[in-house]
Amino acid sequence: MNKINIFCRKKCFSFSILLRVVMIISLILAIWKKDWVWVIGTFIGIFISFLPSILKQDIKITLPWLLDFLIAVVLILHVGGRLLDYYYTIPYYQLVTRFFISILVAFIALAIIYILDEHWDGLKMDKYAMAFLTVIFTMAVGVFLEFIKWFNLSGYYFIGAVTEAAKNNVLMMNLSADTIAGLIIAIIGVNLIKTGKFDKMTDDFSDQVDRLVIDRLEKKK
Amino acid sequence: MQKNSLKTWGVIVSYLLKIIMIILLGISIWTFHVVWIFGTLLAIFVSFIPTILKRNYQITLPLVLEILIIIALMLHVGGGLLGAYSIPYYDSLTHFVSSFLVAFLAFVIIYILDEYWDGLMMDKYAMAFMVVVTTIAMGVIWEYNEWITDILFGTSEQWGYTDTLKDLFIDTIAGIIMAIIGVSLIKKGRFDEITDDLGRQIDEKIIKKRMKKQDE
Repeated sequence: MNKINIFCRKKCFSFSILLRVVMIISLILAIWKKDWVWVIGTFIGIFISFLPSILKQDIKITLPWLLDFLIAVVLILHVGGRLLDYYYTIPYYQLVTRFFISILVAFIALAIIYILDEHWDGLKMDKYAMAFLTVIFTMAVGVFLEFIKWFNLSGYYFIGAVTEAAKNNVLMMNLSADTIAGLIIAIIGVNLIKTGKFDKMTDDFSDQVDRLVIDRLEKKK
Repeated sequence: MQKNSLKTWGVIVSYLLKIIMIILLGISIWTFHVVWIFGTLLAIFVSFIPTILKRNYQITLPLVLEILIIIALMLHVGGGLLGAYSIPYYDSLTHFVSSFLVAFLAFVIIYILDEYWDGLMMDKYAMAFMVVVTTIAMGVIWEYNEWITDILFGTSEQWGYTDTLKDLFIDTIAGIIMAIIGVSLIKKGRFDEITDDLGRQIDEKIIKKRMKKQDE
């Protein structure tokens, strides 16, 4: 089992690097196309995807490899959608991207809840309560993403539909993708917690967050 | 003394609202609105559920919850029967009251679980956060309900993209307001008073029994 874990960790890590290479190619493509808005967008994307590695070197933070991997997947999908117009040309591309964004959000939520449960006195939760909170949190973040589009805060208004009814349909599909992603991560998460694998996955990160954030805040109190 | 007088006022308001519901039933019979005769009867039955629960099952719902349930029902029945939904922002008001009711119910449940169940211990601000998130998620589930109903039965429960987002926005605001009020009530110890009876009853009837079963 341990061998499988090490193998998977190495494979996923190299895949994560591969995805970043593709993102750098996207940046070159954006410069070539003189799409300056997307040059900045892709640059931010690359920076965020390298953030775990930067953090690891500077303040000794090790993000769970799955989180690292999911950040890279989401960014590459998003950059592909905007730069190569996949949002408009490939049916349901936007929905697939949204689904992966929600998977990422749900995983971050579960990891944070789990770490707080382990290290913070202000939260003690049964694993099923954790799963419930993960699902509803993912749904709520999905609603906030829709608010951002609604208020046009991102300065970019992708709906993919014209009429009110069609736009509403896209909105409901997006919210469904959030709920399904939340449910999937909640089910997998409970299973991983039961077998003790979630603890292993978040162990380093959990200890570092405890030392760098929770302990300091509690000392201040 | 002040607590007792507040409770008395609460009971008076609750009875007044129930009387208004009966008047609405009278109007629906007078105007022969068959749908609303059934609608009002159902609403009256639901508004008496807290009384039934107390009398037959010794479960005491907080008076605030009882009043909120009746107000939400009354606004909905009144809106349908008297055509009040055509009044600007009336729909938003009813949606807000319903969401506030959901948020209050969520806060009560989370608080009771935190007090009596070993599986949940939460800081008051974490509770507030969970209430907001729960209210938004319940709003989404409500929208699913309308969306699926429209698809299956060809109805027009959802009025469109803007209306759906407006509803979700109202849910969010209601959740945030309830969270702020709830934290303030917890700090003053008032939330404990509100949920005391129900908490003890749920503990005895559900939580302790489940724990015994688990131990066995």
